[in-house]
Amino acid sequence: MSQSYNRGLIEDFGRWKEFSAGMWAWIFHKFTGWMLIGYLFTHIAVLSSAIAAADGQTIMLEGEAVNAYTGTIQGLESLFIIRVLEVGLLAVAVFHILNGLRLLMVDLGIGLEAQDKSFYASLILTGVITVASVPTFMQGVGL
Amino acid sequence: MAERYSSFTPGGTGWLLQRITAAFLVVVLAFHFFQLHFITHAADVTFAGTQARMEHVGYFLTMVLFLVTATFHGINGVYNALVNQGLDGIQKKVVLAVLTIAGLALIAQGTYVALVMAGWA
Amino acid sequence: MSTQQQEPDTDAETEPEEPESQEVPADQEMSGLASPQQQRLQRKHDGMAEREREAAEDDLEGDSVHIKVFRYDPEVEGKQEPRFDDFHVPFERGMTVLDAVIYARDEFDSSLTFRHSCRQAICGSDAFFVNGRQRLGCKTQISELDQPVRIEPLPHQEVVKDLVVDMDHFYDQMHAVEPYFQDEDTPDSADLEEQRQSPENREKIKMSSRCIWCGACMSSCNIAAGDNEYLGPAAINKAYKFAMDDRESEEIKEHRLRIVEQEHGVWRCQTQFSCTEVCPKDIPLTEHIQELKREAVKKNLKFW
Ligand code: HEM
Ligand code: SF4
Ligand code: FES
Repeated sequence: MSQSYNRGLIEDFGRWKEFSAGMWAWIFHKFTGWMLIGYLFTHIAVLSSAIAAADGQTIMLEGEAVNAYTGTIQGLESLFIIRVLEVGLLAVAVFHILNGLRLLMVDLGIGLEAQDKSFYASLILTGVITVASVPTFMQGVGL
Repeated sequence: MAERYSSFTPGGTGWLLQRITAAFLVVVLAFHFFQLHFITHAADVTFAGTQARMEHVGYFLTMVLFLVTATFHGINGVYNALVNQGLDGIQKKVVLAVLTIAGLALIAQGTYVALVMAGWA
Repeated sequence: MSTQQQEPDTDAETEPEEPESQEVPADQEMSGLASPQQQRLQRKHDGMAEREREAAEDDLEGDSVHIKVFRYDPEVEGKQEPRFDDFHVPFERGMTVLDAVIYARDEFDSSLTFRHSCRQAICGSDAFFVNGRQRLGCKTQISELDQPVRIEPLPHQEVVKDLVVDMDHFYDQMHAVEPYFQDEDTPDSADLEEQRQSPENREKIKMSSRCIWCGACMSSCNIAAGDNEYLGPAAINKAYKFAMDDRESEEIKEHRLRIVEQEHGVWRCQTQFSCTEVCPKDIPLTEHIQELKREAVKKNLKFW
């Protein structure tokens, strides 16, 4: 044909309201997966302060000299924003685990008819577990 | 299109390993979160505490295996996501190389840190 | 636009019409009570009763239906810029989306272009994007849709003109899986026999054999949209039909698995179920793709 028209991604993100359960599950799984791998890199970086600590280096924490590892971690944990981010990380991990289990079932061909329900269940459970964990995560931190 | 397939299994092994590592990660990741937020609170983590945990060979091995599987799973996941979006040609090769190097570096650094914590390096 | 408030989207999600006149087993015991076939018939039956009740409740009879149709034609001066045209079509009981566009073409604008042929969900030529979802025009009741009914060509394929999209790529992918029966050792013509299939095996591949090549599934798949080389649900389902057919030999099955296990084959499927949801022939596409993934893994484990 001489010429044709490419509508590009017309239906993709502008039409998010029409996405179905399976599509949302995919988007969330992707998002949480990327967050987790991103966090893993950060996590190892922070834990690397153990190398300095083993070397005997210290840093100041609330006016006291403590070893570099303890100081780094407790310094971070004393920040409100870090605690909030940790709750976020928990939510992300819990969703990825629950939906990951759902995907494993789908891969085994189990319960395919209930795939939308199991997605909603993952979402709700994630919410419940996250909310229930807030007190533990927020323990002893001031605003 | 018709003739463009090869005789071995591009993707199949990765797919299977992605699922196997996932099954393993479910258990360890849940354990890890539990241990460091509910048993010991993250805010109470100290170098001495970490050292005491890491000195157990079983714990050390679990953590290193956790690191290796999570890195494989995460990096492979990201790579797959990009292939799904139509990444191909040279770009694809470059991305694969960069991701592989980043993953190996992460594993090397992480293992070294664990050895230091255990007091073996 | 007419503002009558009829039947807001009660069951856009429930099974649409299922014209299943073929192969209804007279013998109910043949396949057991909960066989997929019986479940389908049950659903069909329930759906029909439901629809009749609804039709009786709020008849659109005498009203007109407002449709908005995508227009584009590279060869006509005024149509090179894509736009939507509005048509008000008199409603009739049982009117489908295809009926509505046919009416609009015959009565209002003879240049309105779309493919159609059988009008009974068997030729696969009239898959459109109706109210944000891939549907078969002739199998979609107007009365089940919210108005105005927005009718567009299938997404992720180039638009040739109005509702006509370029299907070449879709057909290429279908052909890539060698969609024909192959057998190395066809019996000698001297003792040519029927190649019989067991009823169980027939049941196994029955759903997969219903594909009408409409392309709705491929269009709904956002992996296929991103990765142009991805075989896509319909082609993989076609491969499933032959790979699972016992009458083909093991070697041919292996050959078929090698085609679908290429990098742009089954592994690209992210189990979003969008194809399964839009398929007008109710083929459980995701299920078939997943089964092929497991078969491919099993085959490779055997070789290790
Ligand atoms: C704890 C249990 C976990 C389970 C059950 C799990 C499960 C899965 C599964 C089944 C997939 C494959 C999706 C697909 O290809 O269709 C996946 C993807 C992924 N996972 Fe995990 N995972 C887990 C932990 C992790 C961790 C710890 C990380 C980070 C290091 C991670 C990062 C990713 C990434 C980046 C993807 C790719 C997402 C995408 O498609 O873009 N996962 N996960
Ligand atoms: S599998 Fe279903 S949606 Fe896809 S082409 Fe065949 S009939 Fe159409
Ligand atoms: S006109 Fe043949 S499938 Fe609709």
